[in-house]
Amino acid sequence: MLEVKNVDAGYGKINILNDLSLKARENNLTLLIGPNGAGKSTLLKAIFGFVKTSKGSIEYNGKDISSLPSHQLVDHGISFLLQRVSVFPELTINENLKLGAWAFKKDKQKVTQQLEAMYDKFDVLKQKRNEKAGLMSGGQKRTLEIARMLMSNPKMLLIDEPSAGLSPKIAKEVYQILHGLKDDGITLLMVDQNIRDSIGYSDYVYVLEQGSVSSESKASEVEANLKEVVQSWLKF
Amino acid sequence: MDFLVPLLAQLTNGLIIGFIYALMALGLTLIFGVLKVINFAHGEFYMLGAYISYIASRMLGLHPIIGIIAAVAVVFIIGMLMEKALLTPIYEDKVERKDEYALLITFGLSIFLMNGALVVFGPYQKSPEPLASGVLDLGVLSVSSGRIYAVVLAIIFMAATLFIINKTWLGTALRALSQDRDASTIMGINAKTLGSIAFGLGAAMAGAAGALLAPVFLVFPIMGVVPAIKSFVIIILGSMGSIKGAIYGSLLLGIVESLGVFFLSPSYRDGYSFLLLIIILLVKPKGLFGGSQWNN
Ligand SMILES: Nc1ncnc2c1ncn2[C@@H]1O[C@H](COP(=O)(O)OP(=O)(O)OP(=O)(O)O)[C@@H](O)[C@H]1O
Ligand SMILES: [Mg+2]
Repeated sequence: MLEVKNVDAGYGKINILNDLSLKARENNLTLLIGPNGAGKSTLLKAIFGFVKTSKGSIEYNGKDISSLPSHQLVDHGISFLLQRVSVFPELTINENLKLGAWAFKKDKQKVTQQLEAMYDKFDVLKQKRNEKAGLMSGGQKRTLEIARMLMSNPKMLLIDEPSAGLSPKIAKEVYQILHGLKDDGITLLMVDQNIRDSIGYSDYVYVLEQGSVSSESKASEVEANLKEVVQSWLKF
Repeated sequence: MDFLVPLLAQLTNGLIIGFIYALMALGLTLIFGVLKVINFAHGEFYMLGAYISYIASRMLGLHPIIGIIAAVAVVFIIGMLMEKALLTPIYEDKVERKDEYALLITFGLSIFLMNGALVVFGPYQKSPEPLASGVLDLGVLSVSSGRIYAVVLAIIFMAATLFIINKTWLGTALRALSQDRDASTIMGINAKTLGSIAFGLGAAMAGAAGALLAPVFLVFPIMGVVPAIKSFVIIILGSMGSIKGAIYGSLLLGIVESLGVFFLSPSYRDGYSFLLLIIILLVKPKGLFGGSQWNN
């Protein structure tokens, strides 16, 4: 589905990713873990084109997407949840959601249909639909970002720290939503520090250190040795 | 009570000019909101608008309304092209000091356009066909019909802009872009194209103001300097990037100027705006609408 091959990327002259390769298999949730500053966010940004690659290729369904402008990736079914808060604070929740349908904005009926589907799924959003997004709580903003991302009917999601700053209860809800997306045939590549909670929902795990993959394995194997993994983790 | 009628006349004139400045300031605010660029060539788009209406009405013999519409359309296109040609390096990480780059490049554009007009049209003042001649009798006071038409058109242009910004997909995307460029890109919005459109729209609003005021203040190469400075005063006054602020700021400026002219002296007309700015910033350092956003 998505294959990153020998990629170098960074900011200006500073290189962050070194000859990095990994795969996100179709309809899997692929988990990316690693210490702070390892380059996890940089990798997602490089896939989405926010960070320029200087070497290697990024293939999506066999096609190199590394030179496409970022805004065109939506048309290919790729969507991105940033690590930081990314709601449009001065727009209403309804306007935020509608922008998620930008790719097919001319199809009024489909836009309405998607909006209704999101409001059915996320009751908080429905109740506050005409309020400004900036006034919502952290968890509600994350929910809005996820719903907005789903408006475009994506096939592949890049997700950076879905549960950052959320209470355990809301984090659990968010994981369940994301996990449920697999049933809709969506492929997920997800960065998460919170390995204990996310591993159970994952299929495959990559560990990133200093801009390269240091190890990879099936999630079930990691889960079995979670204690050891977390132990070695603490050494970082 | 004898002073009341002339005062009313001054105030009416001040408000009329205020509405037209509001159009120009709104354009400046739109560009700043979306592109985070202070357009130092704004006065020259105003000047271009005036010249285009002059060419259309005097040289081509078209109706003044057509001249104004032509000014809006042509300045929109010129603005878009200028943005594409000059400002794109900012978004491709090609320049290191983006703010300084934008400042210098729009400043350079301003000097270029001013001198271009000087070469093409010469230094002399020209006057386009007014929208209407004669005066409108409003009972106690009479106002030149040309100005009435101008202010009505200015209000129509402003209403159209506000409609676009608040009610259309394009407007929602522009507001989104002004708040979070990366998040907009993730939605599939082409930030570069929309940036050009925003710049074109902003420039076109200055062009419209220039075309509307051209019969009143005449047309010459440096005609845009004072209105541009006033637009800067207005948007600082009304808090950078606030749409409400731009509109109320312009009206306030128009009123204060006419009061100053009436009670103090007409010679300092252009100085009153700065006095107003200084007083307001002393009381409210963030401007009248400090903290509020580009939206609404
Ligand atoms: N915009 C930027 N400009 C320059 N350097 C950056 C930028 N963003 C990140 N970096 C650097 O790139 C490196 C990797 O950052 P990145 O955000 O990818 O790490 P991460 O693995 O996502 O960390 P975290 O777990 O804290 O989110 C860090 O050393 C960071 O300082
Ligand atoms: Mg990160």
